[in-house]
Amino acid sequence: MNFRADFHIHSCLSPCASLEMSPSAIVQQAKTVGLTAVSLSDHNSTFNLPAFGKICEQEGMACLYGIEVTSLEEAHILCLFDQLDAAMELGGLIYDSLPDIPNIPEKFGDQPIINEREEILGFAEKFLISASRFDVSSLVQEVHALGGLIVPAHIDRSMFGLIAQLGFLPDEDFDAVELTAYGDPALALHYPIMRNSDSHHLNTLGKAYTDFEVETLNVKNLRSNLWKK
Amino acid sequence: MKVSDLASMDQFICMQNEYEDREITAGYTSDLLSDVMGNAEEGSVLITIQAHKNTVAVSSLAGIAAIIICNNRPLPEDMLAASADEGIAVFQTSENQFNTSALIAQHLGGCSAV
Repeated sequence: MNFRADFHIHSCLSPCASLEMSPSAIVQQAKTVGLTAVSLSDHNSTFNLPAFGKICEQEGMACLYGIEVTSLEEAHILCLFDQLDAAMELGGLIYDSLPDIPNIPEKFGDQPIINEREEILGFAEKFLISASRFDVSSLVQEVHALGGLIVPAHIDRSMFGLIAQLGFLPDEDFDAVELTAYGDPALALHYPIMRNSDSHHLNTLGKAYTDFEVETLNVKNLRSNLWKK
Repeated sequence: MKVSDLASMDQFICMQNEYEDREITAGYTSDLLSDVMGNAEEGSVLITIQAHKNTVAVSSLAGIAAIIICNNRPLPEDMLAASADEGIAVFQTSENQFNTSALIAQHLGGCSAV
């Protein structure tokens, strides 16, 4: 079965994302633009994943559960799971490791936690753009121990990609590296390539995507498919 | 000044002493390692808060003589192991990057910008 996937999408929880980015709006828009698999991956937090999971189930949308971790190196690293509880566990570890710097909504934007009916349950208190205490190597170990995929995000960008932060792509057990829509594949070295939109607004959903030919959408199948390409 | 001169200064704790005792000819202060790679002069002491093993990899490529980790950031074991392999000394200090830079500049004979 072919899946057209965009695995890097932010919800309204991310302070830099539009408040229109509710799980149901994301899934509706994903259908409109022809995506058949999506993942929600907010900055350093997983509070909106339960609502996202329910909406995907209701709407029959294949999904992964994600988080975009800011590593100790201040590089953005996409972590993807096929099990909600594993993603929530990593989310808890990452959020707890963020410094106790509160979000200032007037300056950075709100960080609302919502349910599947788009009711606001509360707000993430810590500023989600801070860096976690996990360096890339320890994050690789943690994500793999929890059964997920680890993918350095937008390595072709001039800010917050792993190459921008370090000056090179380190030799780690990454499952793939992420490029933006037109990013140079040569940057990926020997790693498989995944392209995602990194959407913070509805109108960019699916502007970058990756096709996967797998029986069912899970971490194991995606990993073997990535390395086959 | 030499790398071993840093070890004798009160502000710096030597965390890894398997190093080549090179001459330090300059300093470079940055927390963006791609910037260090592109702009640090060979023979510099690197002043940073980036306490992880990739700092050692970049330092090795850029010809950094020693690394000073500021604000008492904890140093992971794999960073110390990598720096021992590369023969690059790693120091820890409670000072921030500005004060550390000023201190190093004094020992290098002043700021080269004036």
